[in-house]
Amino acid sequence: MKAKYLTVLTLAIALFASACGKSDADLTKAATDKLAADKVTGVTVKVEKGVATLTGEVADAAVKSKAEASVRSVEGITNVTNSLTTKPLPVATPAAADPALTGKITEDLKKAGCEGAKVTVENGKPTVTGEVPAAKYATCIQVIQQAGVSGGVDNKLVKGK
Amino acid sequence: MSAQEKYVSLLELANANGTSYELTEGTDGALIVTGTAPSAEAKQQLWDEYERLDPEFRSGDLILNIGLADAAGGGGHTHTVESGDSLSKIASEYGIQWKAIWDANRDILNHPDKIYPGQELKIPI
Repeated sequence: MKAKYLTVLTLAIALFASACGKSDADLTKAATDKLAADKVTGVTVKVEKGVATLTGEVADAAVKSKAEASVRSVEGITNVTNSLTTKPLPVATPAAADPALTGKITEDLKKAGCEGAKVTVENGKPTVTGEVPAAKYATCIQVIQQAGVSGGVDNKLVKGK
Repeated sequence: MSAQEKYVSLLELANANGTSYELTEGTDGALIVTGTAPSAEAKQQLWDEYERLDPEFRSGDLILNIGLADAAGGGGHTHTVESGDSLSKIASEYGIQWKAIWDANRDILNHPDKIYPGQELKIPI
């Protein structure tokens, strides 16, 4: 009986020791390896008392979120401070001058069965008014967004029946 | 919250379903996602996610400009619908299944029986 308790105690101590056995340096390496395995680049990890801090510049918000999830999955890391920044984006240029874009979108809308939608483009930014059937609504918005505009759609389109 | 953070699930979905994309910033600060989807279905998934995040697309903070890869019907073969056409009739002209045309045009069609003269259908050949 006594021997059994001793075994349990020994096991518990061994487990505890191994859990504490991962030093911050080990965890930093494990996290860095995990990022490399998940093909996330440009991230520097520093672990202090089990808390990982991520720094560096990554391509976009999806990479930022993926990096955090990767590091969080490393055993022994208790929390992640995500200080990653995302790369500044180049500013878009419109595919064509405003009248040409207006003409193209009007034509595209017609082809897609969105005759009820009226579009005007100013400085690459489209404004849409009018009314289209509810079933066509998403398609009509899609047509405008795919035309090469350089500003968000000022959407005043009405969803009809 | 930046537009990138707002639409992060959309970008994650694009990475997951094989859509390649590039980000630029619009002249009014909108996030522009320009990319190529491997199939009409993948593209539709992105639009569904966009609609989930911005139900009537009224925020004006995202431009989702996703085209289709050549193999998915983006290769330039198109058919302009004429009066009397049906998907099966068009399909037989090109020696393909009507469903292939339906799949390649899910972005502009709502129902396989509803096509209209003047519509340009992508023909996946």
